[in-house]
Amino acid sequence: MASTSTNIDASTQPAPAVETGRLLVSLPPLANGELNAALANLAAAFPERTILVATPSSLDVSPGPAPDRLHVLSYTPTSASAISWILTAADYVNAFRLAEENQATACLLLGAESQSIAPEALRALAEAVLHADADLAIAHYDTGPRELLVNSAILYPVSRALFTARPRFPLAIDLALSLRMAVKLAATAQKFVSLNQNDALIWPVAEAASVNYTIAEIEIGPRTMPQPTVSDLNSLLAQIAGSLFAEVDAKAAFWQRARGIQPARLFPLSTLPAEAADITPMLDAFRLAYTNLHGIWSLVLPPNSLLGLKRLSIMPVDSFHMPDSLWARIVYDFILAYRLRTINRGHLLGALTPLYLAWVASHLVLVRNGTAPEKHIQDLAAAFETDKPYLVSRWRWPDRFNP
Amino acid sequence: MWQQVHDSLSQSAHRVLFKLASFLPGLVALLVAVLVLALIGAAVAALLRRVLTSAKFDERMARNSPDAISDWSPSGSPTLLVARIAFWACVALGFIIGISAFDASSNGSQISTFLLPYLTHSVGAIVLLIIGNLVARFLERSVLIGAVNARLQYARFLSLGIKWLVLVLTAAMILDHLEIGGAIVELAFGILFGGIVLTLALAVGLGSRDIVSRSLEKNVERTEPVSNAPDSPTPSETLRHF
Repeated sequence: MASTSTNIDASTQPAPAVETGRLLVSLPPLANGELNAALANLAAAFPERTILVATPSSLDVSPGPAPDRLHVLSYTPTSASAISWILTAADYVNAFRLAEENQATACLLLGAESQSIAPEALRALAEAVLHADADLAIAHYDTGPRELLVNSAILYPVSRALFTARPRFPLAIDLALSLRMAVKLAATAQKFVSLNQNDALIWPVAEAASVNYTIAEIEIGPRTMPQPTVSDLNSLLAQIAGSLFAEVDAKAAFWQRARGIQPARLFPLSTLPAEAADITPMLDAFRLAYTNLHGIWSLVLPPNSLLGLKRLSIMPVDSFHMPDSLWARIVYDFILAYRLRTINRGHLLGALTPLYLAWVASHLVLVRNGTAPEKHIQDLAAAFETDKPYLVSRWRWPDRFNP
Repeated sequence: MWQQVHDSLSQSAHRVLFKLASFLPGLVALLVAVLVLALIGAAVAALLRRVLTSAKFDERMARNSPDAISDWSPSGSPTLLVARIAFWACVALGFIIGISAFDASSNGSQISTFLLPYLTHSVGAIVLLIIGNLVARFLERSVLIGAVNARLQYARFLSLGIKWLVLVLTAAMILDHLEIGGAIVELAFGILFGGIVLTLALAVGLGSRDIVSRSLEKNVERTEPVSNAPDSPTPSETLRHF
């Protein structure tokens, strides 16, 4: 295993510890009321600690009087990002610059809507890097069975199988970083920022795992998740999956060597939804794609996967089921095609959308039939781990015969 | 009389052989020029490949440039693209030198004045053909994937229409470039292009009839005062992908 993971439950955290390091909290751009709520939340989270709270300056926002122990630092970002629902390269660069200027020993990066996080959870995130010797403390959210499905289908299984890292939300928007972790992430982010790609996504779990830094996962309970401003699934999936595939490509030397199966974690099972979701539109989209995109898929997928998709295309709605091994193989083959540029990358990621919808439909059918959503996700991640040798083999010898 | 026939035949044969004799050195010069420049091109390409590979050109391009360059490169390798461009530039240079030599040795014969512009136009036509095919394939896939993800039932038909529009345009440009067909090509192109556009417009219009009517119905409903309780959210609204 490349990194050590620990799991900390916010509800079991001890009382606030004695101050031992300087903590910088980086907030996203917030409206006036939201900022005051976030400051009050931070004051409740750190009653005995002096902290620096950095917030991007805005003409129409002026924070109210902050509690004594909060030093609000209004700054003009050197690199601004147009995306606010997720952390981008610009956020990491700005956070590190502020931490360096203010001699902070740890950073707490919070995403939008962070005022909805419980103070205990905020404290647990910070304490993990200040006292528990973790370099990266990453949030574990309490989500519903129909939320963050891209994370469940692609991000978590790929991250767990390839980077041998357990965090359930590899692209979490609430993180605590040790100073050396902040340096590492800022260095990676700076490469994108210098190319004027401020909105590029950075994968903290992959970065930490590749340099063997310690990762802690903190359960922070329910949280209001910010929604993307763009509602187009195709472009969002292409952006997120494309970024992950690029990260896999960039870290190939690491994950080909990384070994170890991550033990399944016991999380409280999500409650089953009261009403069944209508999967017919998703299946219609998949079937339409099967008749039209078969030629493009055949450039990317091996015959076995195409046969599996053929079976799926004629499967009735009630028993629709995409095997975990088939989905794992599909994602791996798309990663390979991304690396080899078998077809244009924009086309490749566009062709993934209907397959992802088929997986979502299959997942929802399983949930409707009584399978616990989290159990299915853990089984899926295990299938990705089992199939990892296939990816390694084809990565090294892509022209070898592939059934 | 037989003597006259014999004389005219021998004179004719003499003229043809003389012309052939004056034509052959030019042809040999053309072939030699192309061959030598092709060999030089191969050497330059090999040298470039070696230098760029050692300089990790592909990795640098992948890191610092948008996808476009690598996407158009053979096997996704910008190094190979540069090497091949260098090779074919040398071959084209060989053709130009060879044709000039051919032209000089043929002393202004009608063959060279006909062949010279045609050969240069042929090179341009081949380039047009390659670019046209690439653009047609790219647009076909873009439209197909976009239309499928937009859940349009006539996605295949739309993408084929776009593909043939570009191919017809390319074919017309090539024929025009080669000066073949003249006005007939323009006329045929206009008819074909217009026909494809009309067919696509009809297909899209008829196929989207339901979508348009649904959209209009929604607009009408929005303008009416809401009297009932709000509808329960559709199942797709309860799904959150991000």
